[in-house]
Parts: sequence; structure tokens; C-alpha cells
Amino acid sequence: MGASRVGTTPTKTGDPVVWVENLRHSYDRHHFALDGVSFEVRRGEVFGLLGRNGAGKSTLIKAMTTLIQPTSGTLRVLGLDPARDGQRIRRQIGVVQQAESFDFTTVQGNLDIYGILWGIPKPERVRRREQLLTRFDLGEVRKKRAFDLSGGQKRRVQVAREFMHECEILFLDEPTVGLDVIMRRTLLDSIRDEVRRGLTVVFTTHNLEEADYLCDRVAVIEEGRILVLDELENLKRLYGGKKTLELTVGGADGPRFFSALTEALGPLAQLTTNGGSAVILTEDPKGALSKIVELSQTMGVPLEWLNVRKNTLEDVFLRSVRREGESLASA
Amino acid sequence: MRVPNLLRLIYRNVVVNTDPGSLIILVGLPGMYLVFFGFGFQSITSSSGSGASYLSFLTPGIMAFQVVMAGTVGGAMLWADRRWGMLSQLLVGPFTRLQYLLGIMLTSLVFGLTGALVMLGIAFALLGTGPTQPLALAVIFASITVGTIFFGALMLLISALVKSNTAYNSIQILILFVVNFASTVFYPLSSGLPLALRGLFEVNPLTYVADAVRGGYSGTLTATEGYQMLLLGVETVVVLFLATRAYMRSDVSYE
Repeated sequence: MGASRVGTTPTKTGDPVVWVENLRHSYDRHHFALDGVSFEVRRGEVFGLLGRNGAGKSTLIKAMTTLIQPTSGTLRVLGLDPARDGQRIRRQIGVVQQAESFDFTTVQGNLDIYGILWGIPKPERVRRREQLLTRFDLGEVRKKRAFDLSGGQKRRVQVAREFMHECEILFLDEPTVGLDVIMRRTLLDSIRDEVRRGLTVVFTTHNLEEADYLCDRVAVIEEGRILVLDELENLKRLYGGKKTLELTVGGADGPRFFSALTEALGPLAQLTTNGGSAVILTEDPKGALSKIVELSQTMGVPLEWLNVRKNTLEDVFLRSVRREGESLASA
Repeated sequence: MRVPNLLRLIYRNVVVNTDPGSLIILVGLPGMYLVFFGFGFQSITSSSGSGASYLSFLTPGIMAFQVVMAGTVGGAMLWADRRWGMLSQLLVGPFTRLQYLLGIMLTSLVFGLTGALVMLGIAFALLGTGPTQPLALAVIFASITVGTIFFGALMLLISALVKSNTAYNSIQILILFVVNFASTVFYPLSSGLPLALRGLFEVNPLTYVADAVRGGYSGTLTATEGYQMLLLGVETVVVLFLATRAYMRSDVSYE
């Protein structure tokens, strides 16, 4: 909430505040939930961890927030070693965990208790509480027990609670699950505001749209390994040698049409079909377009919809995961 | 002035655990035992012509009974915090695992001592008398303190080891039943009891607490209570060690 951030270590924007090298973690000594992860998070950025369920995102968050001690590798948060300086790290971070967590009291009570736990003096605590109840649209339910709220309201309380205290880094483990569109955007905008004031955010999600909206850099994580990591625009460019064409054809000849189109486009285009619709990835969108039109006229199959679009984070994600799958298969 | 972490945790535990339901269990249940059993069985002892006051026998027993109730609250706090996600949330906050554990133990102690004081107040109201000697009061509250730590640690141990809600509740009910009724809280240890039951009475830590409180209450402390307290102290250290180890090694989340 405040403009000042509590901090002891790296201070300049862009300095690494989280440094991870070859981190591995196993819960059962056989399967590695994290398998040689390396990256750094820079001060003042929003760093996104993208991955499917079970990819290792939450394990990584647990390691960075000192909840688990990694099996091997090096981890530094704000220049400190979590194994030795866990408490010092925890004083400077905020964490919104994936699972819900509340005390058996009202919304207002939950915010108050959290403020007390963090040692916020009463006048400041009351000021922040009131501000947060308004900002997260929780005023009407302030007297309700947190456990009686809807899923979206509970999530808002969990996020609002972390703004009761100052922190250097905010870890958010899938914070928008269960939120409606408006509240999701409100939440993301609140996080953006805090980032402008100097907060660093580490954010896990499998919602690619919100990662696109919020993150400066993203890492795609799959089976405990980071597949790609870069600034969003770089990733889109890197994976964007190809353009995406989306088309829908009319009539019952879709499968025959797409089969002929696959043959006509050749190996340089990737075509994925779903009934009468298809998505084509190609390095030559103009050539592909003329072939689609030509084939449509020759076969008498009407084109109902055709669209050429820029690559999105979803394309980056799908291609990096697919590429990993292919390399594993060939190995 | 910055309040230490431990006090903040105790404050939070007290606030979260003093809803009307918890208070009824914590103070109401022993209070009802005192009133219903005290007056109910009083009529039997009166009609038998023994002349002994069952209420004056039961009162210190019920004060000792508070240690089990407070210990149960301690175990339930850890269980609920893990079940509802607050344990991992607190442990990513500015606290150490040990501070959290101490917070629970000391909160149990607050409940145990407060409960015993309430029972003492009720007893004064019912009997018109009570312990006034400083030494007697010191023995009473020292034994309640050690007893609360013992049962708090025992419940924490169970809470740290058991993963299923049903299993935890069943174990807790079983322990409460055996510990309460195989002790000298409600009736004296008699030579007429079956040998196995007598053995159970004699190794039951609640018997030690009840005997010490009763001795302090009536001013009849002997060396036996001293040995019992020594044994209780040793048992407390062992159970506390086991509970701390189990808790430090346990997964903080319920999932």
C-alpha cells in the first residue's frame, strides 16, 4: 500500500531479488517436482510462471517462500539464503497461496488479525483495512465470516490481506482463480499499481491472457523444468516466425477440404482441425491464404470465416510445451 | 513499542478460539460436571451417611480436568490451522515454526489457568471455602501448568501425526474418555478396583494433577504428590520433545 518498501538488500530496479540456480526438489526421492530450474527475478518486475497443473509452479513458490527446503541447488531471495535466513526473508515478502486460508472470523476480523500478526500499529491498521475493504469491494461483506463468502470474495480477501503489510516481493499462486472478469481486472490493476510503486511480483497462472496483461517476463514450466524464459515480446517474436490463420468452412466437406489443404500447404505449415474449423501456423501467411481461397473455389466449399492474427502468449505456451513433448519423444 | 512475535501469535490464537462454542466446551462443560455431578452424587454420599462432601472432593478434580480441556484446545488449534490453510499462511509470515508451536502451547496454558481460576471461583461460590495458603495455591497452579503442557503436547503430537479428520476426532474422544474416567478426577483410587483399572489410574498423568490439586486444595500434600509431580515433569519433557519433533517434520499443509 505504501510507497516505501521495506528492504535490506538489493535496491536498484532491475537488480535480481530472487536468484535460482539448478534447483531440484523431490517429495518422494523418486520423482522430481523441480528438476534443475534456473532463473532470476528482477526488482520491480512482474515475473510470470506459466504451466499446466502439476508442472511445478506451486512447488517453486513454496521453495521461494521458505515453506519447503529444496533437495538441491541454490536459491537466494533478497540476497538471503532461505535455509539460514528464512524469517528475515518472510518479513519482507507477501504470499497469496493457492489454497484458501482464513481464521474463523469476519472479513474485517481477518484483515485486523493479519495486521496485528504483522505488528502494524492500530491507527495505520484501521486506515489500511478501510482502504482495502473499499478497493477490493468487500465493504458490504465486512461483517460476514470469511468462510461464508463466495469463491471470488474469498480470493479477494486473501489478496487484500497481503496489502495490510509492506513487502518487497509479492508471491501470488494463481490469485485469480474463481474471480469474475471485472474483479480479475481490478485485482490485476491493483497489482500493477503496486508494481509502479516498486513492488516485485512473482505470479503463477495458467491463464495466459492475464499473464499477457500483467507480466514483464514469463517462464514456461513443464514437468519441473523451465522450457522458455524471456520478455513477453521477445518470446512472441522468437516463436512468431509463424503467423496464425484461423478459418471456418461451411457445409459437410470440412474434413475433405482440410485434408486437401494439408497436402497443398506442405510441411512448412502446421494445421490443427476441429470439425469445420482449423488453426494454421505458417511462415508464409500470404501463400497460405491464396491456397485456401483457391482450394475453396475449386472444391466449392464456402469460407465462412478467415482471420490472420498476431501470435499470443497462448501460441508461445503451446509451442514450447509441444516442442518439449516432441524432443522427449525423439529422445 | 513493537509487540514480540510470540505475544502476537497468542493474541491471535485467543481471539480466534474464543467463540461462544469453544467457550462453552472449555468452561461450560467442566462447570456442568461440577454442578450436576457435584450435587447429583452428593445426594448419594449424604444418604449413605458417610458424611463426606462429594462436591468438595470433585471441585479440585474438575480444576485438574481443565488441563485436559486446554490441551485439547491446543491440539485442535494446530489441526484447524492446518486444515484451513492458516498454518502455511502463518509460516510464510514473520514467524518461525517454533514460535508458532510455542504460541499454541502458551495459548493452551492461558486457557488452562483461566479455566482453573473460573472453576475455583465456582467452587468458592458453591462451597463457601477454598485454598488460601500461598503454598497451596502455588502447588495447584504449578501442577495445572505442567499438566496443561503435558496434555497440550500430547494433543499436538496426535495432531501432527494423524492426517484424517475422522481419525483425529475419534482418537481425541477416546483419549478424553480414558484419561478422564481412569483418573482420580471423579472418584478416589480404591483398592476395590480391578487390577488393570488400578494400573491405568496410577499411570494416568491426570491422576497426578488431580491428586496434587486436591492436596493443595485441602492442605494435605504428602511426598506422594511430590513424586507424582516429578514423574509428570519427566513425562511432559518426553511428550513435548516427541510433539516438537513430529510437528517440525510434518507437512504444514493439509493437501
